[in-house]
Amino acid sequence: MEEHDEDPGEASVTSVLSENQEAESGVSTQEVKEDPKKEEVNEEIKEEKDKESEKLIVPQRLINLQRDLSALVTNIQTAADAKESTRRTELEETRRLRLEWLENDARSSKEKFEEISKGWSIDNQKLIAQELQEVLNNQQKLCSALVEDKKKLISDLQQELKVADDRYVKDLRKLAEELDLMIERMEGQINTLTRAYREEVVQMKRVHQQETELMFTKDMTKWEQSRKELLDKELENVMEWKKKVEEYEEKIHNLSLETANKCSSIDMELNARFQDAEKKGQHTKATNLITQLKRSKTDHEANIHKMKMTMMQSRFTSVRKRLKKQMEMLASKNEQLKKRDQDMTEEYKHNIQQFERLKKKTKHIVAAEARKFEEMWLMTEAELKQLVERALVIDSLIYKENFGLSWERPHMAFMEISGPIQPQKQQAVSQSFQTGQALQRKVDASVGPDTKSTDVEMYKDGTEVQSESGAEVEEGELSMEALKKVKELLCDESGFLMEDKLWKLLAPLEKDEQTIVKLCSLLCSLGFERDDMPRLAHFLIKYKHQQAEDVSVESGDFSDKAEEEETNCTPHQTSEPLDPNHVLPALNSFIEQLRSRKSPALQHASFQPVEVRDSSKDEEYWESMGNVISEDKIKLWDDAEISMKDYLEVLTEIAVLVPETQSLEQQNAELRMLLQQSLTSSVDTELQVP
Amino acid sequence: METSEAQTSRADRIDMQTTMSKSPSSPGVKLNPAESFSKMRRIIAEDPDWYLNIVPCLSDLCLQSIVSNFEENPMFEVLTPTQKDFVHERLSTSLDLQVTANMVSDGVYWKRCCEQRWDICDLSHYGNSWKRMFFERHMEKIIELFIPDVTQTKTVLDMIPLCKNYVKRLDISQLLPPVKEPQNEEDECGSEFSSDNEYDEPSMDHFDFNILLSKLTNLEELHLMYRVKQCGMNFEWKMFEMTDRDCESLAKALKSCETLKVLRIRESHLEDEKCRLLVKYLLDHPSLRELDFSHNLIGDRGARAVGKLLTRSKLEILNMCDNNIRGPGAKAIAHALCKNSTLVSLNLRLNRLRDEGGEALGKALLDNNTLLHLHLGANEVTGPTAIALSKVLFQNNTLRSINLSCNNLGVLGGKALEEAMSRNTSVTECDIRLTEVDEQSVSYINQAVWNNQSLEQKKHGRESKTK
Repeated sequence: MEEHDEDPGEASVTSVLSENQEAESGVSTQEVKEDPKKEEVNEEIKEEKDKESEKLIVPQRLINLQRDLSALVTNIQTAADAKESTRRTELEETRRLRLEWLENDARSSKEKFEEISKGWSIDNQKLIAQELQEVLNNQQKLCSALVEDKKKLISDLQQELKVADDRYVKDLRKLAEELDLMIERMEGQINTLTRAYREEVVQMKRVHQQETELMFTKDMTKWEQSRKELLDKELENVMEWKKKVEEYEEKIHNLSLETANKCSSIDMELNARFQDAEKKGQHTKATNLITQLKRSKTDHEANIHKMKMTMMQSRFTSVRKRLKKQMEMLASKNEQLKKRDQDMTEEYKHNIQQFERLKKKTKHIVAAEARKFEEMWLMTEAELKQLVERALVIDSLIYKENFGLSWERPHMAFMEISGPIQPQKQQAVSQSFQTGQALQRKVDASVGPDTKSTDVEMYKDGTEVQSESGAEVEEGELSMEALKKVKELLCDESGFLMEDKLWKLLAPLEKDEQTIVKLCSLLCSLGFERDDMPRLAHFLIKYKHQQAEDVSVESGDFSDKAEEEETNCTPHQTSEPLDPNHVLPALNSFIEQLRSRKSPALQHASFQPVEVRDSSKDEEYWESMGNVISEDKIKLWDDAEISMKDYLEVLTEIAVLVPETQSLEQQNAELRMLLQQSLTSSVDTELQVP
Repeated sequence: METSEAQTSRADRIDMQTTMSKSPSSPGVKLNPAESFSKMRRIIAEDPDWYLNIVPCLSDLCLQSIVSNFEENPMFEVLTPTQKDFVHERLSTSLDLQVTANMVSDGVYWKRCCEQRWDICDLSHYGNSWKRMFFERHMEKIIELFIPDVTQTKTVLDMIPLCKNYVKRLDISQLLPPVKEPQNEEDECGSEFSSDNEYDEPSMDHFDFNILLSKLTNLEELHLMYRVKQCGMNFEWKMFEMTDRDCESLAKALKSCETLKVLRIRESHLEDEKCRLLVKYLLDHPSLRELDFSHNLIGDRGARAVGKLLTRSKLEILNMCDNNIRGPGAKAIAHALCKNSTLVSLNLRLNRLRDEGGEALGKALLDNNTLLHLHLGANEVTGPTAIALSKVLFQNNTLRSINLSCNNLGVLGGKALEEAMSRNTSVTECDIRLTEVDEQSVSYINQAVWNNQSLEQKKHGRESKTK
């Protein structure tokens, strides 16, 4: 039974062992396989093989260990087996002996039994009691002996059984001990094996490490060597290459230098050639250009000429056309002008007529105005006189009534005079009338030369226009020649006033034109108007005469003088022109005259009516009228007024009070009436009542 | 900040819960509530189930509900592998096997079940399957604790459909006899005299395997021991033997179980008759490969029957150690060996073959080319057997291991073996301890064996390398 119990343990141990062996074998065989022979021939000489053998020894040791240990464990089992088998043989032997013994015993007891049974049969024959007793006793003895034998046997057997039991127990104990031992050994085996395996592993590791290290170092050295070689080779190669490169570089450098030199020389040659060629080319070009230019110039000139010719022709034709047109235009304009001239003359006539009418009208109006003025004057005068009278009356009243003084009438000369201050005024009016007429005339004169001068100008342009109006014509005739001369004179003398440019411009023109232009510019520069031209001419001419007589007339009414001179000048129309030396002073004086004349002329025109009447006296006249009541009197009046006003206030108060008093009076009266009535009535009532 | 505080507070609460739950189980680690906050936090950090995401996923909740309601509404196959793992981790081990057996696949759940019930769980013995381990051991326990006429057969029958797919091996180390009735005790005196032929007594039959074996469609190994463990002072020889009816029923059951490969009936007082009966039913078994009748009382007749079985089966391993086989039985086995071409291992340790049987076996082995392992330890064989076997070793190069320990081979036998081993290259184990062989020959034989071992290793290595 116990052995069976051992079995699984054993099996497990063996299985473990086999596994271990397998594992071991796996390890060892792997190493072994490289060289199978080495296992048997342990003592090979080579280094590597030494290692191999070293490696191989380890597994061998392990195998031995395993074997020994497993043997140690299984020994117990086999011993137990052996014991069991011996026990069995013993058992069998004892059993056999016992069986024999039992058989012997059974045989002897059988004999005895037979004896006893035989004895019983004898007993039946003998009937004697004593014999029977004897036999019985004998039989009893035999039986008891048999029983005793049996009992002895039983006790022997029982003892044997006991012994066997004890032995069994002992065996059991022993087996248990053995089991324990086996377990112990198994454990020990496991421990030792594990230790061994560990050692082996360590050793293997070490060996492997060593090997790997060795190999590593070897490889490293090899590697290093090969690397070095390679490096050296490479270096050599590199150096060679470098050298070669340098050589080649030098070569290349030289070659490049040579080629550069060559190139430069070729370049220079080429450049020189090129320059030559260029020069030639330029030269040829230049010649070509010149010829071309020449040709083109001639062509151009010819073209220009042609063009000019054509242009001239065209222009000529156009100019002709234009001339024709101009001529036509001129004719038409002349006609127009003629027409206009006629219209103008007609208009002029009409204007003169109108002017005449206006003159009449003005005369009439002036008369009417005068009459009106007189009437107005008288009326206002009468009014004023009445007012004065009233004032005086009031004054007198104040004097007489207020103050109780005697009032005497102040002296009043103007009260006798009625109407405008006649004697002086009449004269002035007439005078003014005359001057107006003179003025009128002068205006006419100024208009005359105006037209004339224009005519002259037109004439000078080359168009002959006949002047019409008789008087003006006379004057025009007068000036025509002289004027021309004067003009020329002026131009010559006052040339310095003109600019040089004008001179140059005028140079190509004809003399007449020159003079005209010069005069224009001159007059412009001097600030003359066109109207002043003939006047100037006259002045210059006259100036000569004045110089000749005596220079007395200076200031005064210029218009009058001009009038006189105008009239005087007419006979001296054709007198020789004045001395050129006097022209400039004459001009100066003329300019001064002109300037002085322009401003007063305007003043005269505006102050005409005031001058006609003497207003200073009028004022005095009216003032005297106003001063009828003197300043003192006015003061007096003011005081009187104030007092009057006070009086008035009192009066008004009184007036207000009057109705009151009246009403009171009335009331009084009524009350009185009532009293009376009541007095009367009261008596009645007193009478009646009682 | 607030959220973190809230988390910590929540964590504290959880921590409190955990400590509360832990405290009863481990009173040694008692935590007084006044302990510092930091210590509490330390415990949080050590709690492997605690993690920051306090709010569990909906899927986790669903799985949790599946787990909690597994009994009412079992759901497993529809889940994904990760979800299955989740369920495995959390499913209660106290759930009814009816629910879980065919529903929950092999995995952590069964590991938990196993570890909950047994301290030692060597998974390598069960094909690395926790589920198989659980059901095999569960079944074994049911059978071992089965008391005939008391325990309802229904308990076994109910389990069959649940575990038939997972049970491959049944290692039954005890089979309880039925409970004795007081009447029987009274009759004992009378019955003892006339017990030999009275099989009819139902009271002494053990568990009937007929109801079980035919239904375990995956059963491959059956280990039986008709004995009672820890019987103590109630020892009776009857507890350690199988009755004839037991034997018959078992034989029939074995025949019905066609997947069986290994049969072990040890320490069961198996006698010739019972052995013959069993063998009769095991003849022509389609799948039996290993037969183990060790530690029984099989004699020559039983051995003859086994020899017959060898010719009519495909046995590879036969273990008849510690029996009572003598020359005739060995002759019969040897005769069978001559014709057999499947047997690989033969163990006849602790028998009584003697030279008669040994020589017969030696002769038989001359014709056999399949046997690798032979154990003839403690068989009272002597020189002649050694000489016969040495002849075998001369010729035969298939035998790997031979054990002749505890046999009085003698010097002559040793010499013969020594000579034989000098020629042989296949034997890697040769046990000749306690055989009174000459030391020299022992050492020589050992040397030869070692050489053969190394050769074998080399060959093996070469094979492995070529592979």
